[in-house]
Amino acid sequence: MLRFTLERLVGMAITMALVSVMVFLIMELPPGDYADRYAFRKYSGTGVNVTEADIQAIRVDLGLDKPLVFRYFDWIGGIVLHGDFGQAFAFETSVLKVIGNKVWLTLGILFSTLLVTYMVSIPIGIYAAVRRASVADYGLTVFSYLGLALPNFLLALILLYFANKWFDADIGGLFSSEYKDAAWSIAKGWDLFKHLWLPAFVLAWSAVAYQLQTVRATMSDEINKLSVTAARARGVPEVKLLIKYPARLAINPVVSTIGFDVNRIFSELPIVAVVLGLTELGELLLRAYLDLDMYVAGAILLLLTFMIVFMNFISDLLLAWLDPRIKLGTS
Amino acid sequence: MTTVTNGDLNNGNDQPLSAEQKRLLKYYSASQWTLIWWRFRRHRTAMIAAALLVVMALFGVFAEFVAPYGPTSRNTQYLDGSPQLPSFCDDNGCSLRPFIYGVTTKRDPVTLRAISVPDPNKRVYVELLIEGEKTDLLGFIPTNIHLFGLQDPKAKLHLWGTDDLGRDVFSRTIYATRTSLSIGVMGVFISFVLALIIGGTAGYFGGRTDMVIQRITEVIRVVPIIPLYMGLAAAMPKEWSTTQIYFAMTLILGLFGWPTLARRIRSQLLSIRNEDYVVAARLAGARPSRIIGQHMLPSFTSFIIVDLVISFPYMILSETALSFVGLGLRPPTVSWGVLLQQAQSIRVIEQTPWLFIPAVFVVIAVLAFTVIGDGLRDAADPYAEAK
Amino acid sequence: MEEMLKVENLSIAFRTDEGLIEPVQGVSFSVKEGKTLGIVGESGSGKSISTKALMRLLPGTAILGDDTKMTYRAKSGEIINIEKLALNSRKTRDLRGGEIGMIFQEPMASFSPVYTVGNQMIEAIRLHRDMNKKEAREYAIEMLNKVGISNPSQRIDQYAHEMSGGMRQRAMIALTLSAGPQLLIADEPTTALDVTIQAQVLELMAGLQRDLGMAMIFITHDLGVIAQIADEVAVMYLGTIVERGPTRDVIRDPKHPYTQGLLEAIPKLDTLTHRLSPVPGDIPSPHARPTGCPFHTRCARKIDGLCDQQTPAEISLGEGRAVTCFLHSSEGRDVA
Repeated sequence: MLRFTLERLVGMAITMALVSVMVFLIMELPPGDYADRYAFRKYSGTGVNVTEADIQAIRVDLGLDKPLVFRYFDWIGGIVLHGDFGQAFAFETSVLKVIGNKVWLTLGILFSTLLVTYMVSIPIGIYAAVRRASVADYGLTVFSYLGLALPNFLLALILLYFANKWFDADIGGLFSSEYKDAAWSIAKGWDLFKHLWLPAFVLAWSAVAYQLQTVRATMSDEINKLSVTAARARGVPEVKLLIKYPARLAINPVVSTIGFDVNRIFSELPIVAVVLGLTELGELLLRAYLDLDMYVAGAILLLLTFMIVFMNFISDLLLAWLDPRIKLGTS
Repeated sequence: MTTVTNGDLNNGNDQPLSAEQKRLLKYYSASQWTLIWWRFRRHRTAMIAAALLVVMALFGVFAEFVAPYGPTSRNTQYLDGSPQLPSFCDDNGCSLRPFIYGVTTKRDPVTLRAISVPDPNKRVYVELLIEGEKTDLLGFIPTNIHLFGLQDPKAKLHLWGTDDLGRDVFSRTIYATRTSLSIGVMGVFISFVLALIIGGTAGYFGGRTDMVIQRITEVIRVVPIIPLYMGLAAAMPKEWSTTQIYFAMTLILGLFGWPTLARRIRSQLLSIRNEDYVVAARLAGARPSRIIGQHMLPSFTSFIIVDLVISFPYMILSETALSFVGLGLRPPTVSWGVLLQQAQSIRVIEQTPWLFIPAVFVVIAVLAFTVIGDGLRDAADPYAEAK
Repeated sequence: MEEMLKVENLSIAFRTDEGLIEPVQGVSFSVKEGKTLGIVGESGSGKSISTKALMRLLPGTAILGDDTKMTYRAKSGEIINIEKLALNSRKTRDLRGGEIGMIFQEPMASFSPVYTVGNQMIEAIRLHRDMNKKEAREYAIEMLNKVGISNPSQRIDQYAHEMSGGMRQRAMIALTLSAGPQLLIADEPTTALDVTIQAQVLELMAGLQRDLGMAMIFITHDLGVIAQIADEVAVMYLGTIVERGPTRDVIRDPKHPYTQGLLEAIPKLDTLTHRLSPVPGDIPSPHARPTGCPFHTRCARKIDGLCDQQTPAEISLGEGRAVTCFLHSSEGRDVA
């Protein structure tokens, strides 16, 4: 088990290293660089004539004149060694400050979404597999198609509209206006909790649709296996049988795709965040892109990917723990 | 090739085949694709979905004909106008031809501006295949015949209303269909070519090449895709022309859409390399090209096609999402996402809900592709139970 | 010698999309205490389904015949009408494993891959015997030892996929027997094993049967195994029993053309001059049952006008033998 964990950790590190290279290249992609825009921002409208030499001076000052490879190592070194993600353009402050505690908000959204997803899809998927042609079974099929077809941001808009119409509620965003800038307290936490369900619901929509089908399909397969018949032939009571044998195995594909689910949630997050007015990393990322604030964008991209890779790692560990065939190399 | 006589088929009984035997013969000698088509045909939902998609595609291809107006033409007299649905009957009686009300100019008592109000006494008839705006079908065939239009060329028919600039939602949606679907097609095509090359290399050579390619694929798969697309799209200079942006978008979408497909191709190649029937073919002395073409490829071409069909919804949704937030196609190009960008707020939903109609198209397209993909998968799987 | 299990007129039907199919029609047999009944037949003959019915293991869509009776004498002496048991009642669960046990063809597939062998054994033991965890574990180790598995105290914590094929089959036998059934149904347990292991497992089973006084129903398509292990044999074809009787008598002097064909099809090592003579044709699909005698489409001695029109009834030949064939009936003898 230890060897298995170490192998996975090393894999994680290699992947993140490669990802950081790709993120850096994306950061370098837009035309012009920080120095240009810094000079423009600082001096435009002031009547001061900015020459190319001035810009170059700024560049040297910020270390932006060095060749690509050096700049990459500067950047990644800063992150890994000092936790310094660079300077944010839009706010003229460090990226870290800008990102601030949005990381925790994003994580909060992530985990509530995952919770909703698994708590809904696993029981219903299992039930639909056991009771075929039931209401749950047909409902599941219809829902999965809808879930995959309806884009999340549209769903968010529709929900916002109805919530507004029926409840006259200010449910967009992560906080009500009173708590937005207030210090953290139990009340603020509770307010956040009340607001989390909407993004969690919207983001979980397609994840649930997908997992429902997976759970039902795996459970259907497993129910027909000989080991289940053999257990029944031993006199194991039906409900206990279903949970101990096929259900346990039906969870496997769900566990193995945790990373994939996180990936998809983060992928949909920026757009849903914009529609719902959520103040977290996804929305910040979009704004950074529109402003071409590449250091912020790169940092967020890196953080999101890291969380995904980490969840992949957790899912691998969980899967190995759940399924003895994997540890021993036979599957 | 020796000829097969009825005697061979009938246990030595050289007599004409019965109807049942003829049917069985047709079944057993059908090619793989015919079999798949027959099974697919029985899947009613998938056939309906396929029909819908074909209609949509036709709308897109012949957009100039189907849409009464161009995507950017404005009707300054009808801003934020609600949909004008033709009726057959009104207080003045019924008619066989559908009509809408003409407009008369009145002065708004509050703003004192000239506004157009529908005049219930003026009927303007809707006709099919009527002459209208001059346009170029498919971009190069000059014509001015449209699918439908108004008898009175000076009046305007806005089936699905207009936006705040007076642009006809129906026409824009039809043109958007062309853009969104074509980007989807090209994006999938590029992904497919890349996936074939990358996945094929990995699966065919195996070993270290495979490992390196695996790592690279992993990197792309691990980064959330829309943020990745957004990163590339953000880099598109503002000065680029609409055509440049269009092609850049297809490139971007295709460039990162290959990992799933490549993985599938690679794993298929690796697994069937050692299948008994491939080994048997090798032992029988078949040439490698025959082994690959006759034995290996057909076994998973159907799966690849299913995967391709299933990638379409993702491409379309990605483009829609990107354009929706302004990091994709830009006006004056119209795609479903660009159209929906105007419908971002609750105010819009409340006051001009018809701007959401492109969303319906998105949902239908995605649903249709998904259903077809499922139907194809069921039809292509030789081990699936006959339904 | 009493009959501990008596099956009369067992008929099983399934409602499918293509209509009603009846894989088993009017099957009757019995099993005596401590004796082995062999059921032999091709795949599709209905042998497995018949025995699954005995343990109410058929899916809910299965319909038993109206006059089907399955009477079983439990260990306590109580007479149980199996056909009347509900699918999931307490009594049925006690019956399964505790009274009638089943071992399967695929030992690997019969164990769940995510639980140890011991876990599954202890579960079965505690369901049918009054023991706590510790006692159950000791008992399980003892059973593993009894079936000839070395290092039982280690093996008990292993997973099924860590064992070799023969060992897995022994473990499955141990698992089933640890619940203490008095009737063991063996559904082709040796088919997936190589011949040497097959011999070992058969020997083991015969020995256990003697020691524990179990009755056994042994299902197989291998007449050689039947000859070794079965006291009585029933030959099934397309859902009906075509011949029954003491094994020795049936093999030496088969009465039904199908049985004769099966015996003739066995390759003989002493004469290498003849071609193999299989039974011609294929077993028909249950959707396309032949009218009349189910075997007539492949029978070399069929009587036209009789065998393809009417279904023969079972005819008792005395000394425990019976055959279902017109050749032995009065009608057949008249025409022939």
